[in-house]
Formats: sequence, C-alpha cells, structure tokens
Amino acid sequence: MTTPAIHADGLVRDFGPIRALDHLSFEVPAGIVFGFLGPNGAGKTTAIRTFLGLVDPTAGSARVLGYDTRREGDRIRERAGALLEHHGLYERLTAEQNLDFAGRIWRMSPGDRRARTRELLEQFGLYARRREAAGKWSRGMKQKLAVARAVFHRPPLVFLDEPTAGLDPVASAALRDDLAALASGQGVTVFLTTHNLVEAERLCDLVGVIRNGKLAALGPPSTLRPRETSTVRVSGTGLDASVAADVSALPGVLGAAIEGGELVVHLREGERASALVSLLVARDVGIDEVRRDRQSLEETFLELVHEDGDR
Amino acid sequence: MIGDILTVAWKEWLEFRDQLLRLRRGGLSALVVLVMLGIFTPIQMGPLWLTSPLMLGYWPLLSSGMVSTLIADAFAGERERHTLETLLASRLSDRAILLGKLVAAMLYGLVFTLANVVVGVVTLTIVHWGEGLQAPAPSHVLYLFSLVTLACSTLAGIGVFISLKASTVRQAQQTLGIIMMVLFIGPVLFIQLLDGDARVSLAARLTTMGTGRIVAWACATLALLSAILIAMGMARFRRGKLSLD
Ligand SMILES: Nc1ncnc2c1ncn2[C@@H]1O[C@H](COP(=O)(O)OP(=O)(O)OP(=O)(O)O)[C@@H](O)[C@H]1O
Ligand SMILES: [Mg+2]
Repeated sequence: MTTPAIHADGLVRDFGPIRALDHLSFEVPAGIVFGFLGPNGAGKTTAIRTFLGLVDPTAGSARVLGYDTRREGDRIRERAGALLEHHGLYERLTAEQNLDFAGRIWRMSPGDRRARTRELLEQFGLYARRREAAGKWSRGMKQKLAVARAVFHRPPLVFLDEPTAGLDPVASAALRDDLAALASGQGVTVFLTTHNLVEAERLCDLVGVIRNGKLAALGPPSTLRPRETSTVRVSGTGLDASVAADVSALPGVLGAAIEGGELVVHLREGERASALVSLLVARDVGIDEVRRDRQSLEETFLELVHEDGDR
Repeated sequence: MIGDILTVAWKEWLEFRDQLLRLRRGGLSALVVLVMLGIFTPIQMGPLWLTSPLMLGYWPLLSSGMVSTLIADAFAGERERHTLETLLASRLSDRAILLGKLVAAMLYGLVFTLANVVVGVVTLTIVHWGEGLQAPAPSHVLYLFSLVTLACSTLAGIGVFISLKASTVRQAQQTLGIIMMVLFIGPVLFIQLLDGDARVSLAARLTTMGTGRIVAWACATLALLSAILIAMGMARFRRGKLSLD
C-alpha cells in the first residue's frame, strides 16, 4: 500500500462565524490529478492552505504525504510546490530571477537552475522574454510563470489554486497537457482547484465537488458527465401535428409536439426510443436524425452545487 | 540554515538594487545623499571629516536611517504585493526568512556607509593632492564599522517588528519615521534638559572615558538591544497568523 498523497479526516476550519471547511473527509491517491471543484467561497483555497500547514484546522486533521499538517508543516512544504490564490511573483525581479529564487530556496545547483529555467520557459514559450521584469508581463504570462515556479524544484506534490485563471483557451489547453504529462510521466500528484467543469473533466482523474465547505460529490469525472435526459428530438421530412398526436398515444411517451420543425418527444424515464422510431417509419416519415437531449455541463454542475441540503 | 538566510537576503538585494538602479524614489535620493555626504561634506570639513569622533555618532545614525527606509517594506511590502503567502508556503523556515531580511537591510546600511567613506577618502585625497592618501586611522575604521553594523541591526530589528505588525508599507514607514525622529531628537533633548553643571560633568566623564571605552559601551548596548529586538521579532513571526492577513 502506498501512502495517499492527501488524507483529510473530518477537517473543520472556522473563521469567526464562518465555517470555511465543514467536516471534510477524503483521500487523494498519489500520482493522479485531483480536481477540487466548487463555487466561490466554497472553501477550496482554505483547503489548500490547510494542507500546506499555513492554516491550522479548527477540528479534524489532515495528512499530506504522510505528514500531519499541524505538526509537520515544514516537511510538507519541503516536498510540495504551490501556486496559491495570488501568483506570488516578485514583480520587480525578472522572470529568470523569480525562477532562480525558487531554485535557490530548494537548494538546486546553479547548473540545474539554469537548465530548468530554460526547459520550463521554453515549454511555455516565454524563454525569449526571461530578462524582463515579471511585473511587465501580461496576466496570463505571469500565471504561466507562476506555474513554472510551482513545479520548478520537481516536487512530488503540487497545489495549484485555479491554475488556468487568466489563460486563453489555447494556453489553458496547453497547460492542461503539461499537467497531465507531469502526473502520468513523472508520478507527480497534482491537486488543483477550478470553477471550470470542462477543465475538471479533461484533466482530472478524480474530482471532488465542494460546497459550503462540505464535500458534495467525489468520483472520477465520468460521474460528472452530463446525464441523458428523457427528451428525444427527431428531425426529418413529413413531421406534422398528426404524427405528433400518434406518437403521444404510444405507451411510454409522456408527450410529443412539433417545435421548430422538429418532433420533440418526452419519454418516460428509462424508456427507449425504438417504438417511436418504428411508428415514424410506418408513417413514412423521412428520418434524418434521432437524438437524445443531454444535460449541459453547466446544468450538472449547478445541480451538484445546489442540491438539497444547501444552507 | 545559513544558505537559506543568504537566499532570502539575495532576493531582497535584487529588489533593493532594482530600486536603486531605477533612480526613481530610493535611487535618486541615494545618489543625492552620496554626493552630499561623500563629496560636499568632506570638502567642507577637510581631514577632520575622517578623524572627528563626532563622525562615530553621525554615520550610525545616518546609515540606520537608510535601513529604516528599506526595512518597512520587509513584511508589509510582501503582504501588500501578495508575495508573502507564497514565500511562507516554501520550505524556508520562519527563522531563515526573518534573518534573511534582517541581514539584507543591515548590509544595505553598511554598504551605504562604506560607499560614502570610500568616496569621501577619494575626494579628500584629490582635494589635498600631494599630501598622500587621506585615510582614517585603523582604530577609527574599526569603531566606525562596529557602531554602524550594530546600529543598523538594531534599527532592522525595530523595523522588522513593526513591519510584521503593519498592514501596509505606508503604515510601517510612518511608525518607523516617528521612531527615527525620537532616536534623533531624543539625545539632543536629553542634553538640553540637563542643567549646566550636569552637562559639564557629563562632558568631563566622557572625556576621561576616552573614545575606545565609549564605543565599547555603545556597542554593548546596541548589541543587547538588537538581540532583544530580533528575539521579539522571531517570537512574533508565526506563519499561520501571517498568511491570513
Ligand atoms: N482569512 C480569512 N478570514 C476570514 N474568512 C475567511 C478567510 N479565508 C477564507 N475565509 C472565508 O472562508 C470561506 C471559504 O473561502 P475560500 O477562499 O476557501 O473559498 P474558495 O473556494 O477558494 O473561493 P474562490 O473560488 O472564490 O476562490 C469564505 O466564506 C471566506 O470568506
Ligand atoms: Mg480560492
């Protein structure tokens, strides 16, 4: 049995009257990309701070890489990399100096620091501008630099608080690829937070949805994938009100109507569309397409986040 | 540990240097000060500039004043620019971060004095061309730099403490400004408050003590003071508390 990268056990953190984390218990196996998904103020950033030992839990405990966050925070910080809420770059220093500082902090040799700077900045397409003050870079460029700094010393565990915030779609996709490669190729555990469902789905092996400091769902992203609804849409020729009326009469059909030239059929939950299709063929309808409506990602997310018990 | 302290000091230096080289804000005033103190004052005072015991009080005050302009930034600045939490999330120990910042500020004060003295020596040597190198006695140099080092570390200690508590750089600078005023004006006020006889006896006592003993006493006092201040700063420096502000 390998130790899980993160093991949270009944974590509670209060800020005065606000309960930022509410009995949070879950486990992140080593070597995966874990996505922490939740709306603003859900407690994602607080969770990361707690795991890094920067904030002590009010109750409960967490072990990160096998170390207790309360007592052994320094061991955790020694082995982790982090991109927190703010990028934390020194804007008066150049990009190169910012990375060099990270390398010195983690006691990398000068040669290694140079090579790593080149490797990471080239990967992000920023190497040519390494001598510019970081403060003069665009928001997205700073964000990339901050990610580079977080992984600079090749930590086995990386915390990334909204890493793709401020990145354009192309850059986000590229960063996702890099993070995926990091996890699969080098066995690094990535713990990231995001508001973005698509991102969570594309990148993460495991996703936790947090809401009001509580874990609302935990599982592989397929569990988040949009669910099929019981609405079927048919397009084609020969669709008219009389066809709709006949379809409505079929067993298992709750209702049917013509909307925008399409036949929209509401089936009973779990019902297949075969009887419907047979009828349409018998009525000589020229069928172009039969498709089932899917819930949008957004709807799924909203459902998870607002499920009953919301306080 | 030493390596970590130097790492932090190195980063602080890069930031100071950037400020100085930009010739705006800190930079220009540092240059003006250098010209005033390193060139004009020695020309006016002549060789006395190098040997006067008064300079042993003058440089520590000035250099610690320079330290105070920087040290306010130490934690308040990192907090204001949102870099503090990332620094605290690194493997650096609380102690290394604190001491690194102290060392950097102290070095700044030392380098400031050193630069001025070197420029002053060069200026005086040029002005008194043909009379050989105008340099202070080795004992004077020793006294001067011991006092400057300890004065700077005392001020850095005060500054770190204030910077830890302040929520903005401006607030830290204001508090430090007031403290500097007290430090500058306090001794003058004290002497003024003494009546004539007391003043004479104090002068007599100081004269009989001799420069060496006075310097030794001053150094011991400053060393004790800075040790206490640094210890207080360390006790106050709590990672969990800091990162939340
Ligand atoms: N230092 C603090 N002092 C007081 N309250 C805090 C503090 N930090 C967090 N909170 C509160 O805890 C709750 C969770 O905040 P947190 O920053 O963890 O949310 P988040 O999930 O990261 O949100 P976002 O997506 O907006 O970044 C919020 O209600 C917030 O106001
Ligand atoms: Mg957050």
